[in-house]
Amino acid sequence: MSSAALSHVSAGSGLRRALTRNRGALIAAAVLAILLFIVDAISAGPLTYFDVSFLSSGGATSALAAIGQTIVILSGGFDLSAGAVISLVNVVLASSMDPMASGASVFLWTAAGIGVGMAVGAFNGFFIAVLRMQPIVVTLSTMFILQGVTLLVMDKPGGFVSPDLGTFYLGDAITGWLPMPLVVIGVVLLAWFWLKGTRFGTALYAVGSDADSAAAVGVNVVLVRFAVYVIAGGCYGLAGVFISAQTGSGDPLVGNPLLLSMFAAVVVGGTRLGGGQGGPVGTVFGAYILMMVVNILLVLNVSAYYSTIAEGTILVLAALAGSISHASVLAVQLRAARARLAAWRAGILPSQLERVERRLKISSPAHGQRNLAAPRPAFHLRNAEALRYALPAYVCLLVIVIVTQVWLGRAIFNPGYWNSLLVLSSFLAVLALGQGTVILTGGLDLSVPWTIGISGIILAGMVNGSDAALLYALPVVLLMACAIGFANGFGIVYLGISPIVMTLATNGILQGFALLYSQGTPAGFSSPMLRWFMTAKLGFVTPVVLLMVIFVIIAVLLLGRTPFGRRVYGIGNGLRAARLSGIGVERTLILVYMLSAVCAAVVGIMLTGFSGQASLGMGDDYLLPSIAVVVVGGALITGGRGHYLGMLGGVLLLTALQMLLAGTTLPYATRAILYGLVVLGAVMALRERQPQ
Amino acid sequence: MGIGLKVRRLALLAGMAVCAFGMSAAEAAEKHKIFLSMSFIGNDWQAEAANMVKAMASHKSMADKVDLQVQVAGPNAQRQIQQINAMVQAGAEAIVIFPVSPTALNQVVKNACEKGVKVFAYDAEITEPCAYNVHIDQEEAGRVTAEWLVKKLNGKGNIIAVTGVPGTSVDDLRTKAAKEVFAKYPDIKIVGEAVGMWSQAVARTELSKILATRNWNDINGLWMQVGCFTANSMQLEAGKKASELLPCAGEGSNGGRIQMLPEGTEVEGAASPYAPLGAPRISYASPPYSGALALKLAVEAIEGKDVPKKTILPLPVVTNETIKLCNEGTWAEMKAGCNAFKPSLVSNPGWFASIFSDQTPEIGLNAALVGQPEN
Repeated sequence: MSSAALSHVSAGSGLRRALTRNRGALIAAAVLAILLFIVDAISAGPLTYFDVSFLSSGGATSALAAIGQTIVILSGGFDLSAGAVISLVNVVLASSMDPMASGASVFLWTAAGIGVGMAVGAFNGFFIAVLRMQPIVVTLSTMFILQGVTLLVMDKPGGFVSPDLGTFYLGDAITGWLPMPLVVIGVVLLAWFWLKGTRFGTALYAVGSDADSAAAVGVNVVLVRFAVYVIAGGCYGLAGVFISAQTGSGDPLVGNPLLLSMFAAVVVGGTRLGGGQGGPVGTVFGAYILMMVVNILLVLNVSAYYSTIAEGTILVLAALAGSISHASVLAVQLRAARARLAAWRAGILPSQLERVERRLKISSPAHGQRNLAAPRPAFHLRNAEALRYALPAYVCLLVIVIVTQVWLGRAIFNPGYWNSLLVLSSFLAVLALGQGTVILTGGLDLSVPWTIGISGIILAGMVNGSDAALLYALPVVLLMACAIGFANGFGIVYLGISPIVMTLATNGILQGFALLYSQGTPAGFSSPMLRWFMTAKLGFVTPVVLLMVIFVIIAVLLLGRTPFGRRVYGIGNGLRAARLSGIGVERTLILVYMLSAVCAAVVGIMLTGFSGQASLGMGDDYLLPSIAVVVVGGALITGGRGHYLGMLGGVLLLTALQMLLAGTTLPYATRAILYGLVVLGAVMALRERQPQ
Repeated sequence: MGIGLKVRRLALLAGMAVCAFGMSAAEAAEKHKIFLSMSFIGNDWQAEAANMVKAMASHKSMADKVDLQVQVAGPNAQRQIQQINAMVQAGAEAIVIFPVSPTALNQVVKNACEKGVKVFAYDAEITEPCAYNVHIDQEEAGRVTAEWLVKKLNGKGNIIAVTGVPGTSVDDLRTKAAKEVFAKYPDIKIVGEAVGMWSQAVARTELSKILATRNWNDINGLWMQVGCFTANSMQLEAGKKASELLPCAGEGSNGGRIQMLPEGTEVEGAASPYAPLGAPRISYASPPYSGALALKLAVEAIEGKDVPKKTILPLPVVTNETIKLCNEGTWAEMKAGCNAFKPSLVSNPGWFASIFSDQTPEIGLNAALVGQPEN
């Protein structure tokens, strides 16, 4: 696997192969060099050793954590608990160090931090590897649990981290020449190279490329997966130690915002999501590229409202640069377009070719008769797969409702309870269709928060309390959502940018537009009719509940009974197979992202009606839940499997759980832990079957 | 290879463009170079505070003294650390910060102070002793509002508490102080508690969840860091009359302030629930002018004036006895005692109305809305 293994090949071709193999990392390094050059050229003084030293410590936490994330992703996994581990290690260190003690052992505390991280990794690894549960939902539950535990350890910023740690981690390895953070990262990378050369390293890439084949040739998949999460946990733990050294104190929220940029760093560094390709070296460059953006924005004096737009653009450009090659999607699309143009000039369009029948001649089977003869299997047999994955959510929902009745009273026989449950579920139910369809194709839509935000803000601004204005405001907002979705889909399909990076960038750009449009103060408010729709009561029922019934029926039909739905499942089950079966993959994917954006816009409109006005950041709390409900409802995060009714069950379950917790007076930390545990328990039934 | 060439050419072009920037910066050499490092700009409070800082910097008394650059770090402490350092390297004389964390920035702030840079934190606190802090007393905010609510309820009743962002010092100080007050009255029971994230939208979903298993009639009062406007709207939707609204101790949103005006008051642009209801309220806020004031103090500090390390802002408290509608919202008018703005001027009820300080005659309503200073 490693380029060292190629040393026996002649030098020239060996070099070329090494270049090809490490293209992602090399291009990321080049982009970083260009950014450094720009900062150096523009800023007042030349880059001194001090600058380099400071930059190196600035990106070190995300680089270390992102190395762990890369290893998980290489094995085909996904880890959402990374940010929470960093926070936990930070507060554990800050709350247990004694300010009175004369010195602190750097080695001991580092070991403690890494140990905490590895323990969490073992927890993740147990559920993912041994119990064969989906990484995204296990690590999401872990994230909630850890956030609760972190707040129990330390409920507000404070504490003390010995300056000895800071002196060690932020100091110089060789005075004036080599800053310590780079040495730390270097050591981790060296450990990685050693690991990669071992049998374990080979097994890791094999599991990430194709777990079934790896198992077939005798790789112990369970052990490899378990070890991966433990190693990754150690990396997050080290990142937590580093940020503790850097800040000299504890803050229970310090690690959480690192999560999304960590994924961006991995992708910008040339590692493919889904596993099997790339490596931590590129990731380190990716992490530093993302941190350099801060300096670039400063030296270019980009004004605050534009900063997220600039950041999103840089992210897309970096991803594009990383994919420059003869084989990249963009290049292939350009070649195809050129070929089409040339053909058009020459007058030989495919439609004008004389076609020869090339299909395989298969004698037509007598399937018509056979079908008549065989009885139609019973409902539960035909839908066994869907039932197996959708039912657990509903069973858990039932349990939660009963617990609510016993604990708080006034649930089962209280129509108000059911109405509230359905109204509060309606937002996620709509989002679940969009996000769920994207996930069915194997993608992910991270632009949901600000698609919701900008839709609500523009709608409120246009409507401004007038029912008549809804007539044109609704179409305008929905059309805008179509354009947003089209942009996402276009970038993913035609520019070959990974869905996570593309939609993350779109999210930032939309945030900038929302700020510019509203000048920071969203104007306008919902019209009476929209508010009536979301908050009034016809008897016991809020009007939006009736719409939800229709929406659910349409959603089920759309995914289950239309050609569009079948194409979505086809793409999720195998892109190449789908393409070869004649599915217009490009068009379908673009439509999928447009559907997701439209769903998000509808949620923005509904939230505006529900709250009476729109506010900046109104969509922020809907991103992770929108992914969680889809997975809790039995969908596979890598695509191809899932049913809308299952996702709906996930929505109802999580909403009912939140209502139960909100009705108690438990402290927030305990609620977070309970929430995580229940989600984990609910998906226990969704375990993958033992491979035969 | 062609692409590499293009990239190089682009970099060159960028370099040239920046030379142009550089020259304009050189012309402004006599101005004080001040940076503003915001944490996050995606919510109403932050955007309003940013507008007021901008207005302050462009006021005629400041415009030829100050060269202000505003940067956003997002919610990520690590990025703010790097940003502050880059600002120091870029030759800042003062840095005004909305700190992501009260403790995580200590090292970099100390480093900046050692280089002679004045560091001002607004709204939230930086615990490093060399930093200047401009904020309200959060414990006082929690205590005063809780005491008001207890008095309204005559020391007896069921209340719902909606807190802020868990894990932040501001939320912790306010909530603990309030709970200490409630604990003194055994007949006051907190029957529901929710995390409101300082957002009207979140307050609504959380209250809806609580009320799914409860009834408005079982509740006697509300203590909310943000959300009284929403709570009042929800009570109206549930069929309560304006005269039956529960006492609510909470935020200084303009919607909440308008609701405090006596029912039937003529207000331009009012439409229920953003209308006068005579709602029993105490309204307080972390005032969004604190960033602008910090900037003003930073300039004074650079000019050698003596500025105290800690500026505790007076807690802006408005009750039904002191509520008064502004006509235009100029600073002079606010000084005369008005504290709520017509919906025709401020269409967003979630907008924060505590924008008056007698120390900042440079900024009025237009500063908060569109970044325009007073004359």
